[in-house]
Amino acid sequence: MRISRIIKRRIHSLLHRGSADAELQREIEIHIQQLTQEAIAAGVTEPEARAIALREFGPIEQTKEKCRDTREVSWIQDLTQDIRYGLRMLRQSAGFTAVAVVTLALGIGANTAIFSIVDAVLLRSLPYHDSDQLVLVFAAPLQRPEAMLGISYRDFKECRAQNRVFSQMAGNVFHDLTLTGAGEPSIVNTGVVTPEIFPLLNATPLAGRTLLPEDGRQGAAPAAVVSEKLWRSRFGSDINLLGRSITLDMHSFTVVGILPASFRYPDGAARQDVWIPVAQDPLFGPLMGRPGTRMLAGIGRLKPGVSVTQAQAEMKTFGARLAKEFGAEDAGFTMRIEPYRQAVVGKVKAALLILLGAVGLVLLIACVNIANLLLSKGTSRGREIAVRMALGAGRARIVRQLMTESALLGLLGGVAGVLLANCAVWSLAPFLPPEVAQISSIHIGGSVLGFALLLSLAATLAFGLAPALVATPSKLQANIKEGGERTGQRGGERARNFLATAEISLAMMLLVAGGLVIRSFALVTAADPGFDAKNLTRAEVSLPQFQYSTPQQWTAFANELLGRLHAQPGLRDSALGAPLPMDRQGQAAFEFSIVGNAPLPESKSNSADYSTVSPDYFHVMRIPLLRGRLFSEQDSPSNPRVAIISETLARRYFPNEDPIGRQMKFGFPPNSNVSREIVGVVGDVRDVALRKKPGPMMYVPFAQEPLYGGEVVVRSSLSTAGVAAAISQAVHSIDKALPVTDVESFPDALGRSVSQERFRTLLLGSFSGIALVLAAVGIFGVISYSASQRRREIGIRIALGAQRRDVLRMILAQGAKLALLGLAVGAIFSFTATRLMASLLYSVSATDPLTFGAVAMVLLGVAVTACYIPARRAVRVDPMVTLRYQ
Amino acid sequence: MPKPSDLLQGTLDLLILKTIARKPLHGWGIAKRIQALSGEALAVGQGSLYPALHRLENQGWICAEWEESDLGRAAKVYSLTPEGRKQLERELKTWKRLSSAVHLLIQNA
Repeated sequence: MRISRIIKRRIHSLLHRGSADAELQREIEIHIQQLTQEAIAAGVTEPEARAIALREFGPIEQTKEKCRDTREVSWIQDLTQDIRYGLRMLRQSAGFTAVAVVTLALGIGANTAIFSIVDAVLLRSLPYHDSDQLVLVFAAPLQRPEAMLGISYRDFKECRAQNRVFSQMAGNVFHDLTLTGAGEPSIVNTGVVTPEIFPLLNATPLAGRTLLPEDGRQGAAPAAVVSEKLWRSRFGSDINLLGRSITLDMHSFTVVGILPASFRYPDGAARQDVWIPVAQDPLFGPLMGRPGTRMLAGIGRLKPGVSVTQAQAEMKTFGARLAKEFGAEDAGFTMRIEPYRQAVVGKVKAALLILLGAVGLVLLIACVNIANLLLSKGTSRGREIAVRMALGAGRARIVRQLMTESALLGLLGGVAGVLLANCAVWSLAPFLPPEVAQISSIHIGGSVLGFALLLSLAATLAFGLAPALVATPSKLQANIKEGGERTGQRGGERARNFLATAEISLAMMLLVAGGLVIRSFALVTAADPGFDAKNLTRAEVSLPQFQYSTPQQWTAFANELLGRLHAQPGLRDSALGAPLPMDRQGQAAFEFSIVGNAPLPESKSNSADYSTVSPDYFHVMRIPLLRGRLFSEQDSPSNPRVAIISETLARRYFPNEDPIGRQMKFGFPPNSNVSREIVGVVGDVRDVALRKKPGPMMYVPFAQEPLYGGEVVVRSSLSTAGVAAAISQAVHSIDKALPVTDVESFPDALGRSVSQERFRTLLLGSFSGIALVLAAVGIFGVISYSASQRRREIGIRIALGAQRRDVLRMILAQGAKLALLGLAVGAIFSFTATRLMASLLYSVSATDPLTFGAVAMVLLGVAVTACYIPARRAVRVDPMVTLRYQ
Repeated sequence: MPKPSDLLQGTLDLLILKTIARKPLHGWGIAKRIQALSGEALAVGQGSLYPALHRLENQGWICAEWEESDLGRAAKVYSLTPEGRKQLERELKTWKRLSSAVHLLIQNA
């Protein structure tokens, strides 16, 4: 009953606001008339009585406003009114609105774009249940615990059987096999696994089954699971494929199941076609019994309640036990684990968080800028606000209305920002390093939109509240008396100066960060890789093992290929190497020992990167020979084994002696104990990535250490496409079925090795650019406003004979003072903040004085220039005009 | 003279409810009546009387009709709703409890 009465009444007052107001007016009028009559009865004249009544009643409008406030629907009315009013204000000052919206759109857009990447990379949920329980299990040499090495099948079995921390554990390794018998022969990426991996990752087959523990036993019937993609593309989605056999590297496998396209391991892997048990793998199956072959990557699922620390401790104990029990292979190694998520995102996490921080600073600067604009605007609206307060509007009411205006700005900026972010993500796509994320997984989805909305509202609060409070002073009279124009000037000016200073210091932080990464990127790209990448093209040729199974066949193929390439006019400079620098699959590294030196203690070993190369390799790559000789055709299998070492290896392991003639023992397993005579020393090469300083390297002649494939490198003035076509032609003239893959120009390969650096340099660089512009706009705004406020003072000064130059200097000094203060504060903050990004920098210190100095100079220059324009305008005016005007 | 805002919070509501409980009254009448019945000790400022009336009306304790009045013209006359009567009982009880507590305290302190 009561509720319905209340609702009826509220709806009534919402719909009939006008009549409700009229009733209120009448009610109050009656009261005042009664007061008047009382006064008349006391013997005063009528006009006087009316005045007394009004005085006694008090402020009518304020009473009315209080009565209106009791209608609890008033906030809806207020809101619609505020929005209508706010839109009108924004339309009226279209210039201001445009500047504010563009500024906000930049800030929110940049944040949303970066957040969408963070969302896709760091926050996405992994496609496995309870993915926080997943850890990678691997071996690491005691003296290089950061290295992730595989574990042998024996150690894997021991670990699976003996550990008390994993509910499940599986091994896996990936390589290419050749699929024949279903159309053209093709390379399929094969997951070689122990069958536990499917229940461990809760893989549900699309049809058939996954591999069972029986399939993993040695001697079991070979079974394979194919991916949905392969099933559709190669087998025409024929469900009868189940139970049929396919041929991988000339081995027959029965297809037992099809895995849905959604299943991938590792998550984000580009291509996975076939899954087979390790025991049946044509390549690694035979190596299973060799305890020294570290071929498996391990993955485990922690038992519920077991922490990563506990598991790590157990693995350490377990590793020590292995080292003791199987000293021959496992001495000097330990076992380690790493949470799966950390392994996947660990490398980019720091960089992304720093980017997020940087982009947050951009938004902060944008907010400060708008706050400054609003502050100036609020001040010039002082009279309007004072009048409204005098007419009975409460302070809270006005603040609410100003905040509504800000929120409108914030939302407009947010919408524009999301649009901008959409464009930004698309235009960033080509720069996105492949290891950061698949571009397809980045999208402006619900969480990103939520983030943008939250940002807009937070920004609204950040830039709207202070100006609204400053614009609504508690002392009314002063406002009206001052005519409004200079209202709140003192408080306002202090606030504006503070904001401008803050803006400069924030910009300084961003510019320093940007400057540091730009410098470090310049240094990285200018780094000498140790070879001449210009006009160099590479291509990978790999020989299927079932056809080319002996080293003699590999050498014969390589000789034939190089012979045919050399015969072509544009390709005379070609060579073979495996692996080449910047190889996508990474570099090979082997332990070595020096013949004649005292044996190393058991826990220590020396290792160096390894490459097997054809005699022309150094000539084609233009790697300089420093001492001794290069390889020649005479270094054949029938002659003594030889090796060439890099300058670093020579310097580090043969200090003060000539390495030529000494012997080293190393090699591709099982030839790890072959002695090789050092015949030459060549220059260092950056083989992993441009940013990685060159380490020790050893080369052997391809003829003495052939591989089932390699990478061709050609120096030619022909285009990359032309070289690629020529290589393919030469390869196919020997064997039609051989695929040529990974064709790439060497400059591109070098570029790829710095793609992460390029990406963050691009981003941080543009953020600092935006920050610089915003800071310039900010200080320009403050100085022009203050100059226009001081017009009268300037006029008087000039009228009294001050030189325009002095006045100009005075205004510039005011700007420079703000800028210098901002720079000082900014330098202190940068000094602390840039340490966080030390890991991203290449041969530049995080507190590089050159960068700090240059940034300070640039900012000061920009700030003073920004002040110069309003300063000039201020001193140009005719003093008579200004004096008369005010 | 004590300002109306010095009235204990909520006391004004009680006074209004009690005043119109006997017979419906307009704003002017309520103000006068409170003044008269309290022996001129309590003066209700119009600045708080009308907002209070509107608030009580919005809460459904009282309702109002425009009707002919003793002022010789139509006035907005407030009367208690049944719920308002119950609310008055509650407020009276609270008030009695509070005032006797205060009374006790003052006597014994």
